[in-house]
Amino acid sequence: MSDQHTGFIEFAGVWKKFHYGEVHNRLRDAIPALARRLVGRRDKSEGLWHGEFWALRDLNFSVTPGQALGIIGPNGAGKSTILKLLTHIMQPTHGTSTVRGRVGALIEVAAGFHPDLTGKENVFLQGAIMGMPRREISRRFDEIVAFSGVEAFIDTPVKRYSSGMQARLGFSVAAHLDPDVLVIDEVLAVGDASFQRKAFARVQELVRGEIPVVVVSHQLEAITTLCTKAMLLDRGRVVRAGTPDECILAYLGGDAAKPVPTSGDGAISIESMTISNTVLNSGQQLRATVKCAVKEDGWTDPETLRIGVRSASDGELLFETSTEHLGISLPTSGRFTLTFDLQMNVQRGIYLIECCAWDRIMGRKSFTGPATNVDVRDGTMFDGVVQLNARAQLAFLTLSEGGDVPRLS
Amino acid sequence: MMTDAALEAEKKARSEPTPPPQQAKSTAPSAIRTLANVARDVVRYHELLYELTIRDLRIRYKQSVMGVLWAVLTPLVVVLAGAIIRFAFASLVGRTVAPIELGGLAVKSIGWAFFVGALGFGTASLTANLPLVTKVYFPRELLPISAMLTQVVDSVVGAMALAVLFPLYGLGHASGLPWVLLLSVLLLALTTAVAMMAACANVFYRDAKHLVQLVTSFGIFFTPVFFDLDAFGPEGAYTFSLNPLTPLLEGARLALVTGHDLREPLISASGAVVWTPGHLVYAAAWAVGGLLVSTIVFRRASGKFAEYV
Repeated sequence: MSDQHTGFIEFAGVWKKFHYGEVHNRLRDAIPALARRLVGRRDKSEGLWHGEFWALRDLNFSVTPGQALGIIGPNGAGKSTILKLLTHIMQPTHGTSTVRGRVGALIEVAAGFHPDLTGKENVFLQGAIMGMPRREISRRFDEIVAFSGVEAFIDTPVKRYSSGMQARLGFSVAAHLDPDVLVIDEVLAVGDASFQRKAFARVQELVRGEIPVVVVSHQLEAITTLCTKAMLLDRGRVVRAGTPDECILAYLGGDAAKPVPTSGDGAISIESMTISNTVLNSGQQLRATVKCAVKEDGWTDPETLRIGVRSASDGELLFETSTEHLGISLPTSGRFTLTFDLQMNVQRGIYLIECCAWDRIMGRKSFTGPATNVDVRDGTMFDGVVQLNARAQLAFLTLSEGGDVPRLS
Repeated sequence: MMTDAALEAEKKARSEPTPPPQQAKSTAPSAIRTLANVARDVVRYHELLYELTIRDLRIRYKQSVMGVLWAVLTPLVVVLAGAIIRFAFASLVGRTVAPIELGGLAVKSIGWAFFVGALGFGTASLTANLPLVTKVYFPRELLPISAMLTQVVDSVVGAMALAVLFPLYGLGHASGLPWVLLLSVLLLALTTAVAMMAACANVFYRDAKHLVQLVTSFGIFFTPVFFDLDAFGPEGAYTFSLNPLTPLLEGARLALVTGHDLREPLISASGAVVWTPGHLVYAAAWAVGGLLVSTIVFRRASGKFAEYV
């Protein structure tokens, strides 16, 4: 592989400015707008006109071959803007965004499809749009069509396809590019479950090929599986950069290294929470010890202490219990500790253990306690959602026993 | 020693990056560099240009009753409209319309139909391909250019119809064909230039297409298609000659139908200057200059397309 075919991504001091609101879309609005702009005031400190904002602020990162960068963050954080800079659709306002090599983008995979053209015609069109030479498309045509699973309809106009079929065909074209740089955006939710598995496997294959990869996804699990590093964005800024797990935890609010400040106005305050292990096997027991204090003025409100387990890959609350459920009434003065034993019957992954004091009368959190993360590894392997700590026993049957119906003893 | 407020301010300054000062816009490549980049990109993406053109042709002729006949119909309607006007004028002054006049009308109609069709498709080319422009990178020039090429195919079909009809009526001078070829290339360049500017404007200002519609529907009155250049006397001929389309269409008529050698000037009986080689130079300057300028403008603006479309 020659040097110029090695993909490389580098953002150095990248800023991107956007307008919101009135973009003068008509010629007759343009002239008054220009006049306003000439006499208008400018906010010197930020370098912004009225109605402008920074979508990206001072972004610095690089992705070298073999690395996969996951970008996470809430809506409006600037993820899509980064993708548009990566694919050369937009240019930064300040700074430089260097992307070397042919960019393969698994973004809006059916963007170039025309409804009146047949599947076959669209494969060639879409391939050309993505920068594939015609010869290469011809060579891989059968492979592309077979992957999409729409062989029977390849000579039918795409407008008669279901949206799933269109997306599958589009994904197949994009997935058969041989890019120097790969950019992936939320395309892993294409088609039905079996196609999604196939697509995910294909993406993993592409990611493993020694090229720089950037993945943007709200499916945090995909980031964990695919990426070697990650970046958490918020309103155009990098809030956190590090391993995917670190960033996901920071995103979900449970940052182990930098604990969330505890706060609340309830009678019970939580001083700390410690867990027995940070790494354990699926099905093992985890002990969480919560240290609490009752404020000096004592308390009359019946508060309870809650502890919950949240999946770090998608933020879903998997389990929550409280001292009320467990039949414990809390002391009304002094300091105390509470220990919770949790059987971690969950799939492998990162989980967030969080605790809070709960005001039963008001039905709200009266004190948000610290949260910490625990890494659950494969214990006894299993498929599915819940570890049931299955045990199996084998017993041999002799011919004399059992008769017609074999019985397990 | 720092006060709390100063510490706070420093902390804020560190966490809130400020944008670098506006640097002078010296980063834009030179005009020649831009042109070279566009040329390189179009060559590099010639396969996509081909696919986009094929796509437009397929869409145009798929699921249409008349198919390729559409390519002939538009110029035919222009010819009919022109013929009606000519017959009306001829009957007023009490003479008949010669086949040679209709031949000239047909040649110019094909040219005009190309200009109108290409400008219409070219103007809409960016906004009609919205998902592509906002989602996928490729040189944006390909969209208006492929609209031009699609229209070229249409016009070639129309021209072939003329190539069959002309000998049947004993019209046409083969010696004019090289001139027609040259003029066609200039017409293509000029149309591309106008279409690129219009496509660009249409992205930023959605009423630009109304302006283009005005040109395509009423421009025929300011371009000698229905009439010939000498119809309005010497001043009229001079005024109409300012329209860069005039020499291109009139030249094709003179070379192909009248059999005039375009290296020689031609002055009508009324004293109107119908043709000089200067006309050709004038039109060529518009076509080439316009193409260069519009290419640079288009490329400079194309970085903002995705934000505005």
